[in-house]
Amino acid sequence: MTETIGTRELIVLDTGEETVRGTYHKAFDKTGPGSNLTELNRVGVLFLNSLSPTRAAPGDSAVFWADCFAKCGYPTFRVDSPGFGDSDGDPPPACLNFISKGGHASVATAIVGQLIARFKLPGMVIVGLCAGAVSAIYTAAATPECKGLVLMDPYFHLPPAIGSGGRPVMRQRLNNRISRSAIGRLVRGKGGRLTTFRVFFSRDTLPSNANVLLLDCLRGAASAGLPILIFNAHTQQKPLQFDYLGYILGLAGSKSKVLVKTVEGTGHSFSNPTGRATVRQHSESWLNAWFPLKKCGKDDEKMLRSQFTSETVSCTPQARLPLHSKG
Amino acid sequence: MPSQYLTKAGLSEEARYFTVPDAHLYTVLHQATEPVARVLLVGPLASERHFSYPPWVRWARYLAARGVEVLRYDYRGVGESTGAFEKMTFGEWKEDVELLADWVTSRSPRLPFVLHGLEIGAILAGKCFHGGMGDALLMWSPPSSANQALRASLLQWAGVKQLLESPENRTSAAEYIRQLQQGSAIDVQGYQLSGSLWSDSFDVKLPSSLNDDMSASVAYKRPVSIVKLGKSASPLVPPFRGYLETKDLNWLYSSNFDWIASAVAIPAGRPK
Repeated sequence: MTETIGTRELIVLDTGEETVRGTYHKAFDKTGPGSNLTELNRVGVLFLNSLSPTRAAPGDSAVFWADCFAKCGYPTFRVDSPGFGDSDGDPPPACLNFISKGGHASVATAIVGQLIARFKLPGMVIVGLCAGAVSAIYTAAATPECKGLVLMDPYFHLPPAIGSGGRPVMRQRLNNRISRSAIGRLVRGKGGRLTTFRVFFSRDTLPSNANVLLLDCLRGAASAGLPILIFNAHTQQKPLQFDYLGYILGLAGSKSKVLVKTVEGTGHSFSNPTGRATVRQHSESWLNAWFPLKKCGKDDEKMLRSQFTSETVSCTPQARLPLHSKG
Repeated sequence: MPSQYLTKAGLSEEARYFTVPDAHLYTVLHQATEPVARVLLVGPLASERHFSYPPWVRWARYLAARGVEVLRYDYRGVGESTGAFEKMTFGEWKEDVELLADWVTSRSPRLPFVLHGLEIGAILAGKCFHGGMGDALLMWSPPSSANQALRASLLQWAGVKQLLESPENRTSAAEYIRQLQQGSAIDVQGYQLSGSLWSDSFDVKLPSSLNDDMSASVAYKRPVSIVKLGKSASPLVPPFRGYLETKDLNWLYSSNFDWIASAVAIPAGRPK
């Protein structure tokens, strides 16, 4: 029995509030005679839990991506948030509300700080899916050690109110039940078209359930020029909603380095072969552009990065972005 | 950064890798103060592992708090263990159980050893018990064959996909099964289910002598318990509802701990 193998090491972090368990994917070290790797840019990559019970994520997709990024030369970490997976404690009651209000940010900030100190990293790129993306945005706002964000299907609305029993309030439950019925589906179809119409003519007004604090954190990070890569899964049944990302990009200003990719043929977890491959390919190119491990000339660097700035990339094929309702 | 730590409840947990042919298994040892027995938890496979994980971990902690040392792990190619899921066979997963059971029984001092499996894990634990391992066997919801568990997982996944896909892109569960029968691999909740694993799964069954716990206990001269878990035990079993809640399953844990205690004669007076 060993805690370290050739490519991985098991780690425990004491965040002050909680003890969390994680896995470190060792960076493949290409250093050797003639190597021109620059240690200064060897940022770490940290995966935060979504609402997935474990740090492996659905279909063990986070394990796959972490292995890939480590092979590219980036030390990569996956941790179980407090109350999840092998970490201590229980998940917070009304977990989605807790995360949506930035409840995991303080622990995630402590994790980032500890990993940077322990592995002598210049900074950390934080990766999150759904609720993990929400935690990643809050963490980026809380620590300057976050050097970039990779967000998969983030959501920008507040979840429905939760009753004392930890379930949605009666009105929401009734609404959910009716909307699944045949009549509900008919009404929802017409309602969807009405929503599209309403959203189109009120593009600058945030919906009443918008998570304003989260949007402000993301706008702040984008305005400050933090490189941000966002993946959206394009599925048929996502309801058309307010274009939160368009809204953010509109406010972020000229320094913004936000790239949005819509991925067809995958689901919300990006765990099928298409989702895995697309996230891997674009994330590796993006990491290489913003945090290159090889020294290159200023012109080369500029050219590489020009492919990953919001000015030069068409964000999505659609005018309005579909977003998921929960993680 | 040692991989061992004390939980708030004062329990020591240690995560380690265990070497098996061509892979490393991720294991977590839940240590007990002055242990009186040892249990190897043989969990469900792939996507079921994902949903059942929180109550499975809580069960391990429940046992450790009562003087039972617990080892739980991920199968080769699943979760935190290394290896490619799509290349694995039931033979390799059975070997995982055997190698870990050997490791547990080699620990000192020698203590009563219980094999405990859930779903497909129950079949694999049962096969090892049949081969002579373990002083007692506890099985939660063993399916009639591994195929029954894979099929249930596939049907659930196909149902979810029906909801997400447009009518022209929908694939029925029957069509997925046809593809598997033709030897193609399909994606089920992020795992590549191969045609060969599907066809092999029909033959992965409990030995017939383990179909009934009363007669099995007599035949093997070692205690055997089979517990069929209903929806109230979700998310340990389908429909996996409430996997983010801290669901109170103490009713299940306490009755099964009592069975383990009687099976391996844990002295009275241990904390319950």
